[in-house]
Amino acid sequence: MGIEEGGTGGETPLAALYHRALPQVYGYLLPRCGSAVLAEDLTAETFMAAVAAAKKDRPPELTVAWLVGVARHKLVDHWRRADLERRKLGAIVSDAEAVDDPWEAQLDIAAAHAALSHLPAHQRAALTLRYLDGLPVAEVARELGRSLHATETLLVRAKAALRRSYEKGEGHDS
Amino acid sequence: MTPDPLDAMRLPIMPVEPRPEFAASLLRRLRGEPPPVSGRGATVRYFVADLDAAVAFYCRDLGFDEELRPAPSFAMLYHGHLRLLLSVPGPAHAMPDGTLPDPGGWNRIVIQVPDLAAAVEELRGRGARFRHEIVTGVAVRQALLEDPSGNLVELFEPLVGYHERAPQGGQ
Repeated sequence: MGIEEGGTGGETPLAALYHRALPQVYGYLLPRCGSAVLAEDLTAETFMAAVAAAKKDRPPELTVAWLVGVARHKLVDHWRRADLERRKLGAIVSDAEAVDDPWEAQLDIAAAHAALSHLPAHQRAALTLRYLDGLPVAEVARELGRSLHATETLLVRAKAALRRSYEKGEGHDS
Repeated sequence: MTPDPLDAMRLPIMPVEPRPEFAASLLRRLRGEPPPVSGRGATVRYFVADLDAAVAFYCRDLGFDEELRPAPSFAMLYHGHLRLLLSVPGPAHAMPDGTLPDPGGWNRIVIQVPDLAAAVEELRGRGARFRHEIVTGVAVRQALLEDPSGNLVELFEPLVGYHERAPQGGQ
């Protein structure tokens, strides 16, 4: 069944939403995953999930915000798979030691965003949800499927890793 | 509580229009329409080291048309019914041990030209490389051209006695 069937003659809610929501979903994903190919893939997965959700007995209210939430899940799932792949290949996903130095007052934001792309996927996921998306730690924990305590620890280590990546200037080469 | 300097990394959503081909194709999928069937011709993928150089070579020197170039690592070209995919080797092509495919080798696409000697001379004039001189095969004369990454393109001119299946009716 397609998204325009079964309606009352007009477009279904998702079809009506499509043209407005597409640039929002894609605009959410593209700068966070840093690859147009991957952003397209996750955008398609997001909208296909909406088609599936619309067929449920009690479908969610389809809004841009709901779709962006699904896109966030898809991004986290992608990073989870990326970590699994690395582990299968025997790579050790190491967590940096936490350091307690303060960040410089004037953060070079573009460099910090770029430095993020050099981190292992689980750290990149945690920092993206916490800082780029601005989610509270409890919600980050829920998205990642980790306990609050484990998420706090992950965030501390991820920040230390980001700090090292940022100071190595890894933000400036990509 | 001290403010967290990383809060400055907040990234509000800025709408970005994806490629129109992607937007149209995703909408078709959402509507449950079947994906477009592959055309009548064949599809071949070549790995190339330099996408710009490869696209320039195939389009400028061999008369291919560029259909899509959605990423710096991929292009889709057409030559009649032949669809040629050009890919720069990347993680998506890696074998489980990380080995990446290389351009080159001996398999090749085969393209008919009306006058092989003239085609070779013109391509040579533009700096194209051939792997050897024109040779005569079974009812054809042929030459092995290299693209900028070392992939082969066989150019041929039919001679008397040349045969291929006639076009099917109804085309």
